[in-house]
Parts: sequence; C-alpha cells; structure tokens
Amino acid sequence: MPNVIGEPKKSFMTGNETAAWACLAAGAEIMFGYPITPQNEIMHYWTRLAPKYDKGFLQTEDELSAGFTVCGSVQSGKKAFTATAGPGNVLMQEPFGMAEAMRLPLLAIIQQRGGPSSGTVVYSQQEVTLTTFGGNGEGMRIVYSTASHQEIYDYIIKGFNTAWKYRFPVFILGDGYQAKMREPLEMYDPEDRGIEMVKPYPLIGLGGEIGKDREAEHLCNIYSLEEELYEVVMKVAAEYESIQDNLVEYSEKNCEDADVIILSHGVVSRAAEDAMNILRAQGIKAGYFRPITLRPYPQQQLRDAIAKSGAKVLLCAESAYGQLQRLTKQELYGETIKMESLFMPGVGIIDYDIVEKVKSVI
Amino acid sequence: MFSFTSNSSQRIVEAFVGEYASGKSEIAINRALELKDQGHKVTLVDLDTVEPFYTLRVISKQLWETGLNIISYNREDSFGLGETGAMLKPAARWALMNEGDVILDIGYGVHGARTLNLVEGAFESPELCIIAVINGTRPMTNSRARTREFLEELGRVDAVILNTHLGDQTTLDIIIEGNQFIREAAEELGVPIAYIAISEDFRGLIPADQWDLPVKYIKRYMPGAIW
Repeated sequence: MPNVIGEPKKSFMTGNETAAWACLAAGAEIMFGYPITPQNEIMHYWTRLAPKYDKGFLQTEDELSAGFTVCGSVQSGKKAFTATAGPGNVLMQEPFGMAEAMRLPLLAIIQQRGGPSSGTVVYSQQEVTLTTFGGNGEGMRIVYSTASHQEIYDYIIKGFNTAWKYRFPVFILGDGYQAKMREPLEMYDPEDRGIEMVKPYPLIGLGGEIGKDREAEHLCNIYSLEEELYEVVMKVAAEYESIQDNLVEYSEKNCEDADVIILSHGVVSRAAEDAMNILRAQGIKAGYFRPITLRPYPQQQLRDAIAKSGAKVLLCAESAYGQLQRLTKQELYGETIKMESLFMPGVGIIDYDIVEKVKSVI
Repeated sequence: MFSFTSNSSQRIVEAFVGEYASGKSEIAINRALELKDQGHKVTLVDLDTVEPFYTLRVISKQLWETGLNIISYNREDSFGLGETGAMLKPAARWALMNEGDVILDIGYGVHGARTLNLVEGAFESPELCIIAVINGTRPMTNSRARTREFLEELGRVDAVILNTHLGDQTTLDIIIEGNQFIREAAEELGVPIAYIAISEDFRGLIPADQWDLPVKYIKRYMPGAIW
C-alpha cells in the first residue's frame, strides 16, 4: 500500500478530517455517503483527498442506498466505508442489518447528533441503542466509542482490520463535538507502527469449481424456512460470542479503592476523568470506568472493578436519557451496586456537572 | 511589505479565509477587537455557510459584551431552522452596509474568496482585503509545496497570515518551522505576508530578531467555543 502519511507528524485538525485521513491511511478505496450534519466534513474531506490518491466516492440518493452500496462494494473485495448521523443512522439500519446477515466487513463512522428525529445537528450520545442493537437482528456488531481525535484515527485503522478479519460490521461511534473539535493528533501509516492491514478480498465471484475446488459461498439475507434462519442466527451468535474476549476494550482508573465509580463513554469520559481527579483531590474516592467497545461490552471487567473496589455507587454520566445505563444494566444483571445517573440528553457534560452529581449521591 | 491601514480614513474590510482549524475565527476575533480598541466601530460577521451553529455561536454573547457588532446565529433566532440553518443569515448578506469596519470570518473557508459572492457588494468593494490564514500543522498545508498548492487553489488572496500552531501542544520549534515554509510558499507566489500570529502565551519567549516580519500576539477565544 502506498505510504500516504510519511513521516509521522503532529497535526491540528477537526475530528471529521481525522476520520477521512484515517480511512485513507487504512487503505480504504471508496466511500459511499449522503450528506448529514455533523459528519459532512468526512465526505468533504474525503472528496478532496480522493482524486489525489486515486480513491473513489459516490454520493448516493439517500442513506439507505449509501449503506447498501457499501454492502455491495465490500462483496466485490473493495475496502469501502460510509459515515452518517442521527436520522441517517436510522435509515442505514436496514443495510447494517444486511451486513450482519451476510457477514459483510462494513465500516461506518457515526457522528451522533441530537434526537429523536432530526433533533439537533450539533451533538449528543443518543445513538448508542441504535448503533449497538439497531435493526431487526441481534446486535452482532462491533462498536468502538472514541473520545479523542487520536482515538478516531487509531480505531478507524483498527476497525477496518476488525471488520475484514472477523466479518462483522464495525462502527466508529463519535459525536458532533468530536466531529467539529480541533485538537492535535499524530497521524501515521499503520505499517510504520507494525500494524499489518488485513487485505480486502472478494466475497463473491470466486475462482474454482463449486463442489470440486471449493464450497459454495452463500451470502444470504433471506431464507425460505424458519429452521434455516434459526441455524444461521445461532451459528453467527456462537461465532460472535467466541471472539468477544478478543474484541472487548475498556479503560479503568482508580477503581481499586473507589467508593463511587463514574461510568461514561466517548467524549464524556474526558469530563469523567477530570471529575475523578478533582474529587480525589478533595478526598473523595472516585473511580473511572469507560467501555471503549460498547458492543461487545466489557461486562466482566466492569463486574471485576465493582467487586475489587467495593464501591457502593455506580454513577452513569451520559449525554442521553439512559442509553448507556440501559446497556450497562442488561450486562450487569445480578449486581447489587446502587446505580445513579446524570442524564443530559443532547448537551455536553463537563467535569463540574459530574463532581456536583457525585457529591449529591454519596 | 504588506501593511494594514489602521489610521486611514478609509474603512477596513477584511475577509479571513483558510482551512478548518487554520485559525480564521481566532484571527478574525482578535483583529476585530484590535480595531475596536483603536476606536473603530466594528462588525464581525460569522459567514459559515455550511455549519452555522458551530464557530462563533457559543461565544457570540461574550463577544457582544466587548462592544463588537456580531452577525452570527444565536439560540433565539435559530429556533426551528435545524439543518436549513445552513442558509445565509440575511444580516450577513448585507454586512457591508454596516457603518465602520467589517471583519468577515469565512467559515468553511476552503472555497476562499468565492464564498464572498454571498455578500452584497463584496467584490465591488475597493476596501476588501482577502487574507488567507495558514497553519503549518494542517495536513494540506504542512509543507512548502502543499501550502503553495493550497494557496493557488484558493483564488484571490491579497495577503497571508502565518499562524502555525498545535493548540495546547504548540512549541517554539513548531511555530518557527511551519511559518518558515509558509513564508517561502507565499513569497514564491508573490503574495504579501501580513504578519505572524502567535498565541500570547509565547509573549517574551520569541527572540526579537527571529523574523523580519511583524508579529502579533493573539488571545485564544475559541477554546471556549468547544470546537
């Protein structure tokens, strides 16, 4: 793969530009997309880069089509991706479901905006439920929730490899703040960091004679009989569960002796970490736990953190009305720790908000 | 060398163009406040045609309180616009009708001066000065060749501001290295250099003989705007 970044260098960028560069560095060949704020600059920037690096772009007539064209493109062996937000993410659930059904290595970057419906164009964390368990399937997806531009870059590169290695759809879950914020990061060519990029490969139109040289490759999103579907879903679920331990990522700080664990994800976890430090400086034993993968969820790791800390309270802080908390509750079934919440749907959360909330619940 | 006519009777109309995160808004705010402090009446226009709810919106109240006339969307007048807020605010179209100096922050300035076709009378204005803000840590302007290519794509540029920085991670070496190749690119194209902009955090840390160009120390307002 041609070297696109060259000498690693710190750059000052928006998150959306970071996403476009990361896709380029990861060897993506084509983007399919439809404009929606706050992800627009991923498209804008990709279309500026594409002619210079001989890459493709197609603006489709809507998000349904953008998702399905990615589904088609990856079947032909192209490393393809899309990016969307809010109502666009809703529309794309149909093609995302197809990617689950047919085990397609689709990668989608989601820059969450406010909801329900068109909500706001600005920011929220209200696409957690949709991105982890949207569609009419079983949530056989891999969702990385990023918190900085460096993570957007790193996890897009990792995400393409996850998608092409395991063949489950992969989501990079950002938000409007991350999309628009400017901050420094270091871009690099993956190979220079010893990261081997999984080469894309065609899923259809394969050589050889079926039955003689190879098995038939059935990429199917509809079955005639209930039992056929049952067998497929059970097989896919078993495969997903077998790789969960390899995929789960999380960050944990100061949980050893914590009286209260602050649970957050994405950009809010930056405020949560600051809040933890402020509380510690004031003599309050606060810990920090952040799922990086929301699917699969680091449930055992969170259970372990609760157990070793002996914490009495788990405070869930999110820019949504309980989407992370619901996800967490289903994963922590059986735990008896008291759950408190700081729900601020559609608005940013700063350290002060969390510090005040912690003080009010301990 | 290019120079600003701050004491001339002619009013000042400046449009700042450049990449995302090049520092357009920061430079525009600082310039507007500088002129106001010189006793000028100043209108600062947020001409972001793509994402009008970002850029200055969050700090526009704070800027109003400084005595600037701000043309920007705010919470009250954007109610219900949603995505259609991407239309031009009417007051921005007629910005040049304001008395006094006009500073235009061309958000999404990658289209350069072309965006100014939305502002009535801009191209006919003898006062208009189009200034490209360049940050040498931006991927599209991180070398002499790339900066030159970028400037050529921008169209009309009357002057360049060297604004190399890396946010909170800025170092003197980064400033010196980036601004050097931007300067070389501008000189190759014969575009005058207005000045070097540096965060006031570096005041006193730069050798007086570092450059034979004017240096302006700027205050950073945009971190308060989240993006």
